[in-house]
Amino acid sequence: MFILSIFQWLQSTDIMTFIRESGLTYPTIMSTHLACIAVFGGMIVITDLRLLGWAFQDRPIADIVNGLRWWKRLGFVVMVTMGFLLFGSKAAEYDPNPYFWTKMTFLALVGVHALIFRPSVYNHPEELDASPVIPTRAKVAAALSLILWTGVLCNGRLIGYYEPPGQKGHVVVTPASN
Amino acid sequence: MLLIQTNAIADALNSSEWVFPITECFHIAAFAWSIGLIALVDFRLLGLGLKRETASQVAKATAPWTLLGLAVVLLSGPILFLSDPRMYLYNPSFRFKIGALVIAIIFNYTIHRKVALSDSSSAAARVVTGIVSLALWVSVVFGGLFIAFA
Repeated sequence: MFILSIFQWLQSTDIMTFIRESGLTYPTIMSTHLACIAVFGGMIVITDLRLLGWAFQDRPIADIVNGLRWWKRLGFVVMVTMGFLLFGSKAAEYDPNPYFWTKMTFLALVGVHALIFRPSVYNHPEELDASPVIPTRAKVAAALSLILWTGVLCNGRLIGYYEPPGQKGHVVVTPASN
Repeated sequence: MLLIQTNAIADALNSSEWVFPITECFHIAAFAWSIGLIALVDFRLLGLGLKRETASQVAKATAPWTLLGLAVVLLSGPILFLSDPRMYLYNPSFRFKIGALVIAIIFNYTIHRKVALSDSSSAAARVVTGIVSLALWVSVVFGGLFIAFA
């Protein structure tokens, strides 16, 4: 109830009301969110493929990790900002949505992943390059990263499919009946 | 006859409430994967991102994985389409998206590939190619999302 009241307040703010009620703003923000997912996702994917030893084998891990570090951070910030606007404009509907909370859980796990693997993998890629074989911890980090981000993405999409009992959601996109 | 067949396919696809959303998850994950990898080449052509690698190194390293992603996109897309062909065919955003997609794929495997793989491409050619590629793929994403809002 406490969370719901915060969500209702957020949704009632001027900016969130504007996003919800204007025809083109909402889908434009959602498209930007999605385009960001693609660009940001590509950086995650190539980093993980390099850590697994499946791409760029002839290039240092440090090149890939260091070359994309700030771009990944920038992409993440834009993506989360767009996501927050989408959420905020319909926050009260998100409260009962199990996919929303599953997605937030996956995002929290991404945070845990960063806490665990940044010190040992991402912050010192030169050490990985110095090793004769790619250390197991780097491969585990990469595999978990792919799994966690897939979880975020799929649950993010499924948010739009949830209909609370007896109500119709705003963004439910189901194929029309024939 | 064609209509009856597509209706039969649509019925099969719509028989479970999970077929469409799960196919859509594959579609989104795969387009994020492949467009993101193409964007790495685009950014390199613009002088951003993986600057310690050449554009041709980035293009070569990503190519097989991009193709894998595009294959999943092009398998899952028609499944989504066949769930309701008539709705999609008359949807202006869908038509825009397919047009942009065809151009984007042709561009990717002709001009984009040639410019990225040749380390002697002029700076102007690289920048224009990177911008056109990004613009085309972003158009595909926007068109795809606006199908639901058209």
